[in-house]
Amino acid sequence: MLKIEDLHVEVDGKPILKGINLEIEAGQVHAIMGPNGSGKSTLAYVLAGREGYDVTKGRVLYKGQDLLEMAPEMRAAEGLFLGFQYPVAIPGVSNIYFLKAALNAVRKHRGEEPLDAIDFMKLSKEKAALVQLPDELTKRCVNDGFSGGEKKRNEIFQMAVLEPSLAVLDETDSGLDIDALKVVAEGVNSLRGPERAMLVITHYQRLLDYIVPDTVHVLIDGQIVRTGDKDLAKQLEREGYADVQGAQQL
Amino acid sequence: MTNPSRQTLLGSLPASFDSGPEWLRALRGRAADALREQGLPTKRTEAWRFTPVRSVVDAEFSREEESAPSLVSAVPEGVAVRSLRQVLQAEPELLAGRLDLGGAPTHFAALNTALFSDGLWIDVPAGTAGEAPIELAHAISTSSERGVAYPRVLVTLGDNAELTLIETYAGGEAEQLTNSVVEVDLGRNAKMSHVRVHENAGLQVGRVDVRQGADSSYRSTVVTLGGALLRFDVRCLLQGKGAECQLDGAYLIDGEDHVDHHTLVEHQASHCRSAQTYRGIASGKGTAVFDGIVVVHRDAQKTEAHQENRNLLLSDTATVHTKPHLEIDADDVVCSHGVTVGSLDQEQLFYLRARGIPEDLAHSMLTYAFLKTIVDRVSHEPTRARMREALLTRLPHGDDIEGVA
Ligand SMILES: Nc1ncnc2c1ncn2[C@@H]1O[C@H](COP(=O)(O)OP(=O)(O)OP(=O)(O)O)[C@@H](O)[C@H]1O
Ligand SMILES: [Mg+2]
Repeated sequence: MLKIEDLHVEVDGKPILKGINLEIEAGQVHAIMGPNGSGKSTLAYVLAGREGYDVTKGRVLYKGQDLLEMAPEMRAAEGLFLGFQYPVAIPGVSNIYFLKAALNAVRKHRGEEPLDAIDFMKLSKEKAALVQLPDELTKRCVNDGFSGGEKKRNEIFQMAVLEPSLAVLDETDSGLDIDALKVVAEGVNSLRGPERAMLVITHYQRLLDYIVPDTVHVLIDGQIVRTGDKDLAKQLEREGYADVQGAQQL
Repeated sequence: MTNPSRQTLLGSLPASFDSGPEWLRALRGRAADALREQGLPTKRTEAWRFTPVRSVVDAEFSREEESAPSLVSAVPEGVAVRSLRQVLQAEPELLAGRLDLGGAPTHFAALNTALFSDGLWIDVPAGTAGEAPIELAHAISTSSERGVAYPRVLVTLGDNAELTLIETYAGGEAEQLTNSVVEVDLGRNAKMSHVRVHENAGLQVGRVDVRQGADSSYRSTVVTLGGALLRFDVRCLLQGKGAECQLDGAYLIDGEDHVDHHTLVEHQASHCRSAQTYRGIASGKGTAVFDGIVVVHRDAQKTEAHQENRNLLLSDTATVHTKPHLEIDADDVVCSHGVTVGSLDQEQLFYLRARGIPEDLAHSMLTYAFLKTIVDRVSHEPTRARMREALLTRLPHGDDIEGVA
């Protein structure tokens, strides 16, 4: 599904990612953990196609295509979804309108008929219920005046509607209370399937109790320094990054 | 070839004023004298620095006969809407002292005072709340190519009276000039909501003069959708303690449009509040000007005044001049002002695209949303819908983004 080969990325001439290699097969869930500033969000943004990131070396294949050549909307249409660490508010654009436009753009790309207002409302109600997003929030402007946790729920709500093949979730768990965390995890798990894959960025082992990953990577200073199974996350929680990195270097 | 019936604006001033009540003749005479002495503004006149006013001052126009706006709604019970001409003929004493209530006018407003022949007087007696809005349509008649009209509206609200007034200025040819004056006098605790829509409005110079009594409230929303040369001045005199005004504006400029909004809010009494939010989008070779002044007089303690002007510049060839300023002579005040001229928010744009929305559609959505937040402040739903529609028809992809909010 996703193959990242020796990816080097700079921002304003400063190297941030320094040779990332990562392969995710359909059906798998991978987690990335790492200290603040290690480049996790940078990787997520590069995958989604945000401007301002210089890929100086390496390549990314997504479903066999050169991902880095594609416009952001094309990546989304091909089933890539980024759950933002800090979702932006868009006053004046209603959440529900925006999501319908997004879904229909993706459907159009797949050669499907657009959903009409009634069918879309039905779908949106069903998905909002799944992530327990209050009706009132679906009708407000995109993330406008949402609390931190509400924004994260809104990300998962959008993911549930768009049903991506590869979801990159950037710290979707931070800022969530324990109940919300479970709800979000359920939303994510309901989407797991043999055709889909996920890349979950998190600081907390806790999330991985609910979304059990197949593989855990540790990203430090722009490089994946260790890869292991779900127990690696537990070890990180106990020992911290310094020890894990130290162990690697021995 | 010159048309003998055409004259320059100044040239059309008569030597003397022979009809109407004595006080009106005096008013007109003073306005004409001031004009002859000062002339009309030029580029060297500070407040007209960015307005290409020469094309109007030097041009010759023929006078349009009919210049009273037409009433296109029902009149709420208890409210009187009368022709200024008729009142001036039949009961002129009713209007004595009620015209030019903000003081001696200058420039184009003085021209209107000297030359207006008709108009409307909307009077809402004390304690009357006109629930349904009154709607006026100003459309310059096109009987001649280069016509000039001088619409005049006087709105008086007694104590505790309420009114919603909606005015549309539309359909002018690029060479037709409308020089309007709207005066508003608000009694104690009176509340007025005032919506003005300028659509494809040719050449326009317009002034709104508001005088506010204690605890009164004046809310204005101006939506300006292009025109060859549009210049609007709003002045609010907060004369009574506790009065408040909110001035909002949205403008959309394209092609070779020139749109110029000037506001002046004078805090003359204590405990008054004012807020201004103007937002505009400039594309093509259009020019937008915003010039806002807030003056806080020495005795106007406990004043709160805010002013904001935000602009989206969508092409390299469009221009925005913005100049908000505060002149504060009192010490116990809360004031703020802010200006931005920029392009669309890249983070918002990326968010939309990352969900699959094509770039051009995302552009239109954000552009529309930027102005829509102003339009949404209009409380009268049918008018709000009409404005949204008007915005959409002027934006690329308007059809596709209809339901945006
Ligand atoms: N636009 C930018 N300009 C300059 N430096 C940047 C920019 N974006 C990211 N960086 C730098 O790149 C590094 C990696 O940032 P990134 O946001 O990817 O970290 P992260 O691993 O997601 O951290 P966190 O856990 O705090 O979210 C940081 O040192 C950051 O300051
Ligand atoms: Mg991050």
